[in-house]
Amino acid sequence: MSEKRVRIRSAEKMKEMMTLYYMTAKMAEQEKSPKIAWITSGGPVEILHAAGVIPIYPENHAAMCGTVRMADRLCGVAEDRGYSRDLCSYARSDIGSILSGESPIGGSPKPDFLVCCNNICGTVTKWYQALQRMFNVPLIFIDAPYQYEADRPEALAYMKAQLEEMIQTVGEITGKPIKPDTLTETLLRSEEAVQLWRDIQDLLRHRPAPMNSFDTFIHLAPIVTLRGTPECIDYYKELKAEMEERVRDGVAAVPGEQFRLGWDNLAIWYKVKFLADKFAEHHAALVVSTYTENFCYQAPDRREDDLLWTMAANYLGGYINHGLDYRERELTEMAENFHLDGFVMHSNRSCRAYSFGQYELAQSLERKRGIPTLMIEADQSDTRAWSDEQVATRIDAFMESLAARRVAV
Amino acid sequence: MSSETRSPLDVFEAVCSDFYAAAREAAAHGRKIAGFLCSYAPQELAHAAGYMPVRVLGRPGGTPRADELIQPFACSFARSSFDSALADELDFLDLVVFSHTCDTMQNVADLWRRKKPEHNALIVSLPTHTQGTAARAYFRAELQRVRERIEALAGAIDDETLRSSIGLYQRHRNAMNRLYAVRREHPDHLNGRQVLSAVVSSLLMPKEEHLPLLETLVAHVETTPAGDDTGETPVPRVFVAGSVCQNMGFIAAIEEAGCAVVDDDLCMGSRQFCMEYADAADPLDALAEMYLSRRPCPAFHAPGFDPGRHLVEKARTARADGVVFLLTKFCDPWFFDYPHVNQALEDAGIPTLLVEVEQHLPVPEQFRTRIQAFFEMLAAR
Repeated sequence: MSEKRVRIRSAEKMKEMMTLYYMTAKMAEQEKSPKIAWITSGGPVEILHAAGVIPIYPENHAAMCGTVRMADRLCGVAEDRGYSRDLCSYARSDIGSILSGESPIGGSPKPDFLVCCNNICGTVTKWYQALQRMFNVPLIFIDAPYQYEADRPEALAYMKAQLEEMIQTVGEITGKPIKPDTLTETLLRSEEAVQLWRDIQDLLRHRPAPMNSFDTFIHLAPIVTLRGTPECIDYYKELKAEMEERVRDGVAAVPGEQFRLGWDNLAIWYKVKFLADKFAEHHAALVVSTYTENFCYQAPDRREDDLLWTMAANYLGGYINHGLDYRERELTEMAENFHLDGFVMHSNRSCRAYSFGQYELAQSLERKRGIPTLMIEADQSDTRAWSDEQVATRIDAFMESLAARRVAV
Repeated sequence: MSSETRSPLDVFEAVCSDFYAAAREAAAHGRKIAGFLCSYAPQELAHAAGYMPVRVLGRPGGTPRADELIQPFACSFARSSFDSALADELDFLDLVVFSHTCDTMQNVADLWRRKKPEHNALIVSLPTHTQGTAARAYFRAELQRVRERIEALAGAIDDETLRSSIGLYQRHRNAMNRLYAVRREHPDHLNGRQVLSAVVSSLLMPKEEHLPLLETLVAHVETTPAGDDTGETPVPRVFVAGSVCQNMGFIAAIEEAGCAVVDDDLCMGSRQFCMEYADAADPLDALAEMYLSRRPCPAFHAPGFDPGRHLVEKARTARADGVVFLLTKFCDPWFFDYPHVNQALEDAGIPTLLVEVEQHLPVPEQFRTRIQAFFEMLAAR
């Protein structure tokens, strides 16, 4: 490579912000105030922020375990307790961390209650049932029916009723009812942050892309955790400004960008750097991913006069709570909007909800649009089935085929 | 066993030896056939619309067509049933009804819809939450949509016919529960394989034909005098729990090892019949109540339902000496519950054996060895 990849300055600020957030949560655990809730990544966190409850994400913790390669050992702890190796590695490593006390950050602060929304998978339903048995605390379950066609009004009404109930229940748990105005402000702040995250991702349409999807995986943390807070908005404003500056100055995330690819499914946390380097070697930038898009999903059914209805529509879920027709449309639009040469699909052993259908989607995209896909069989955080050599060989072959296509055209 | 009871069991076993023969024959006579893949499919609605509901099962053999479309980490039931559809083995189906349960079937239903449009795939979007007025109202609305979709294909369903289908299915469940009760008392009169054949055949035959045979069988076994078993060594009583298990071989192997299968919590067993009649003026209200208040499949969220405590109670009621888990490999809902349920059984002093099952493969030799060791352990207690 002639030019070196440039670091993202805002990353430092994110680190500080996330560290502060964890410290605050740790303090709350010690002081027993404010309350702490464990919540799924797709859960309606604005209600917690509006109630002054600190949200903790077992999925984030599990991703950290994957990144620092502690997941294998922690999965082993859960497996020794009878959790099958075929279960989601996030669930296994997080349960293993609770059982053993081992963690890259000294453990997640213990929950006063749990919030599970199944708009990302059915695994979280079972995972949180297990957590409830381990901690013996209240579990708020938000059931988001999977949508195969257009979002159904009866499903939205069901979601809205559950959100209303959650607002009530959280108020009862903290002993302070959530003020409607506070919730409205939180929801508006959340929308603003989501829009900023949307804008940042859209900046990656620019050639060369100012940021790589491997970076967006990392910069996802605040939108997942802190959406609804002012800090989250501040952070993404700064990141957006930095990316706009890069676009203006023509700074490329992957110097000499020649190929543009889309990513599907969760990150492979223990190989983010390896994959970023490998693709950069081929001058390929990953410029869009269904994974990060899922966190700026804005539902089509918006009602300015009914924020809870809009919230219900958003939390009915994006890419992974919708059927294959929806997914195919999304992938096709991504390919057009981001000028993609192909997709990289992580066929993720841990995530059946996300992965089953990828073969069909890849075949359809190739047949109907001539868009090729590289399928990588792996796991989001369990490294035990990974081989650098095999994946490198497959990436090389795929990139050669893309180059050959280009010559042919 | 006398000649009049041999006949229902013979019929059941014959039906199980060729899963879809009855459906194909009915289709040849012009009957519309509705396939379903889960005990949560509201068969009553299809039945009332004139369909013959028939359960789609896995089958022995490879799954090369499904392997092109789903990764190897999908369960064998999903792969095998989907493969049979892709191989055109299910072309007698006019309709296929899925019910939303686990992630795997959620996505396989979608693939099925795309690949076999002629099956008119209808996916019933059950709430995962089984309690509360919001879930109930949502499911009631969903049943209305399902009814309308079926009506668009097969013509109007009138409430009276629907009530009578609900009644027929409930009478059948009641008879099945009586069969289970008498088997718990007299496993020597009715073995696990025979009960499984009664269950599986009931999913493959018209209910109106299966019910009288079942009632004859139940009446006969209920009135058979208890055998003179003085002096015989008591046979270890085994309770079987797990996901789909249409492969009779596993139950047969447990009994061949010397155990008596006395009860089950299987998808292809008692979970097909764990529903009670609900009286409501509106038949869809009745169905919503019946399906949501039944014993939940592990894919659901039923606050207050403790699967560990539940299985301990079931095993105790069945006076089981041990529990064998037959869990389909990759069945997330069951495998998440397993550590807790297993611990609850251990705490209650009930020994267990966990076996991972591949629905489409023959019973492995290793299974026979392990079940033999389990039998010896139980017999020595």
